[in-house]
Amino acid sequence: MKKLIAMLLCLVLLAVSALSLAEAAGDKDYVVGKGKLIVGITDFEPMDYKDENGEWIGFDADLARAFAAALGVEIEFQEIDWDNKALELNSKNIDCVWNGMTLTDEVLAAMTCSKAYMNNAQVVILPAAKLADYATVESIASLTFAAEAGSAGEAVLNDLGYAVNAVQNQAAALMEVQAGTSDAAVIDALMAAAMVGEGTSYADLCYTLPLNDEQYGVGFRKDSDLAAALDDFLAAALADGSLMAIAETYGVQAALIVE
Amino acid sequence: MSFSEQFPIVLGSLNTGFLQTLRLFFITLLGAIPLGMVLAVGEMSSFKPLRAVIRTLVWIIRGSPLMIQLLIIFYFPGLVFQTPLWGGGESGRFAAAAVAFVINYACYFCEIFRGGIQGIPVGQDEAGMVLGMKPAQIFFRIKLLQVVKAILPPISNEIITLIKDTSLARIIALQEIIWAGQSFMKGSQGISGAIWPLFFTGVYYLVATGILTIVFAKLEKKLSFFR
Amino acid sequence: MAILEVENIRKSFGSVLVLDDISFSMEKGTVLSIIGSSGSGKTTLLRCLNFLERPDTGIIRVNGETLLDASFPARDFQRNIRLKRLHFGLVFQSFNLFPQYTALENVTLAEKLLAQEKPDWKEKKSEYHRAIEEHGRELLAEMGLQDRMGNYPHQLSGGQCQRVAIARALALNPDILCFDEPTSALDPELTGEVLRVIRGLAERHTTMIIVTHEMAFARDVADEVIFMDGGKICEQGDPKEVFGNPKQERTKQFLSRFSET
Repeated sequence: MKKLIAMLLCLVLLAVSALSLAEAAGDKDYVVGKGKLIVGITDFEPMDYKDENGEWIGFDADLARAFAAALGVEIEFQEIDWDNKALELNSKNIDCVWNGMTLTDEVLAAMTCSKAYMNNAQVVILPAAKLADYATVESIASLTFAAEAGSAGEAVLNDLGYAVNAVQNQAAALMEVQAGTSDAAVIDALMAAAMVGEGTSYADLCYTLPLNDEQYGVGFRKDSDLAAALDDFLAAALADGSLMAIAETYGVQAALIVE
Repeated sequence: MSFSEQFPIVLGSLNTGFLQTLRLFFITLLGAIPLGMVLAVGEMSSFKPLRAVIRTLVWIIRGSPLMIQLLIIFYFPGLVFQTPLWGGGESGRFAAAAVAFVINYACYFCEIFRGGIQGIPVGQDEAGMVLGMKPAQIFFRIKLLQVVKAILPPISNEIITLIKDTSLARIIALQEIIWAGQSFMKGSQGISGAIWPLFFTGVYYLVATGILTIVFAKLEKKLSFFR
Repeated sequence: MAILEVENIRKSFGSVLVLDDISFSMEKGTVLSIIGSSGSGKTTLLRCLNFLERPDTGIIRVNGETLLDASFPARDFQRNIRLKRLHFGLVFQSFNLFPQYTALENVTLAEKLLAQEKPDWKEKKSEYHRAIEEHGRELLAEMGLQDRMGNYPHQLSGGQCQRVAIARALALNPDILCFDEPTSALDPELTGEVLRVIRGLAERHTTMIIVTHEMAFARDVADEVIFMDGGKICEQGDPKEVFGNPKQERTKQFLSRFSET
């Protein structure tokens, strides 16, 4: 019995080490080998969202599709819990995070990322009625903010030393302001444009005051050679104009990084 | 977008999510009830090591949050062994969630079954024995119905809890109904910043638990002919 | 030949010796009463006779056939234990009726299950069932329960329950019918109906062993009485002798406590 257990253990160890070797051989080979790139996303217009047929479209989605085609593999979009993005990557349940992801220090520490491809900012959300009182970064110091836990917005607020209620996602941050449980919120500019003001559930809120400049990139597993492959792909797509064409489809050409 | 335009889109999305909720619910029942019986029999066996193993399992599973179990079962194969056992897609997430739920609920059912069986007075066994009945006859002809009657209230409790617990599977991004409702807060299918779909999911749960409550009340009534 | 011979039965639970060298025998068609204070081992003795406990030593013979010899391995005790048990019937203090079955079903269930083991069961299923139900009805009628056959145990009084339990034990025609304090769980006004039924069985020469605290009843109905004390048979004999003129000091003490109340 003991011998049997020992033998089984050895087998498991062998299998694990063989698999680790396979990983060392290169993440790109791993993805090409299985023939499919699994892209971790959230529903985030205009980067990744569903058309009326339930197909994923958006600037990031179209770009990811083109990248997968260049690698010669199929693509699968998988909605993930944003908090778990690093976990999803490391457990190989997804191969990249490609979803208007701000390149914060935390993200750069947890993943190997592509070069930035798009500009963004974190903006302050306030009830429209209070807009006039809070026009500068100093004037908002006394407020309590809601921000998504682990988001770029939370990082900015922490740097400024302002009071933060960390909530589950950016939408919840908005709900905090609407419900009056927080005075203000900090979310992505791209998202704010889509979510607050006329015609939304947050018609009484408005956005103002960018707190920083930041940039979007694509995250891969630590030390993955796919990041460099994507950089090459993006450079080529920029050169042949296809990148700009996709950006124009979704009206984000102004934010695209084109140097 | 007006509410009347939003409504059909949201309903479609919530229906899809609820279908996933129901699938997880029924598969959990289908797996956890038989597994719970097997565990209960094992826990009453005279073979001590088996009893110890099952007791430890039940302790670990009942003693730790289901959310952690979901995370471990889904992420560990890839994290620790570099083998994403489940596959990253929706079907893999569903399979991992189903396994976690079946194991978790089997442990709860196991304790309910064991309590129910051991709660039947020993006199029922002895009456059967002196009447020359075989052990299987004593169990199936005499004790089983009494056990079913005794465990019906705690089982119905667990089953109603289960349908709500399925929402925990969103932690591994299984797109059940809460996930579907939340997606409209962030923005999905042209609707963004909509809070009501999340709260509206409550209606689905209330209907489902309402039906379950009626079914269990009927079953209890059916078994009320004896005491 | 004696219908039952019990030789040198010993039984201990852990370090407690509950039965200490019990031997007795009884004749077919007679009634044996066992009296004694609580904890004297009466109930354990009945449980040994019904193979609910395995004695540490001793022999049990019915109609000359050795059903139990404790010197044989434990496996032997389990072999055919079901068939050995069928020589005895047991009426419990707390009835132990099956709550989900009617009075009639309680009486007929075991007989129906046994009939399944007969070779011609498949062909003659309905005939067997009819005969068994008929037998069950007769037994319940004998117990004065002809109007109660379709009732569930919770719809019956304690006395009625115990009479159903007696009918249930009789249904399998045991060689010896044992009663374990059949009236102890009953309200005093309900003991009479149960004792009347047992008295009727005695008049028809049913072989019975009755463990009871009803001293007057034991004296009237029994052909032989055993007084147990501390796991031993302290005194044994004709009821008139044991009750009227006890020889042992312990018996006198025990009986005097009863005559006072």
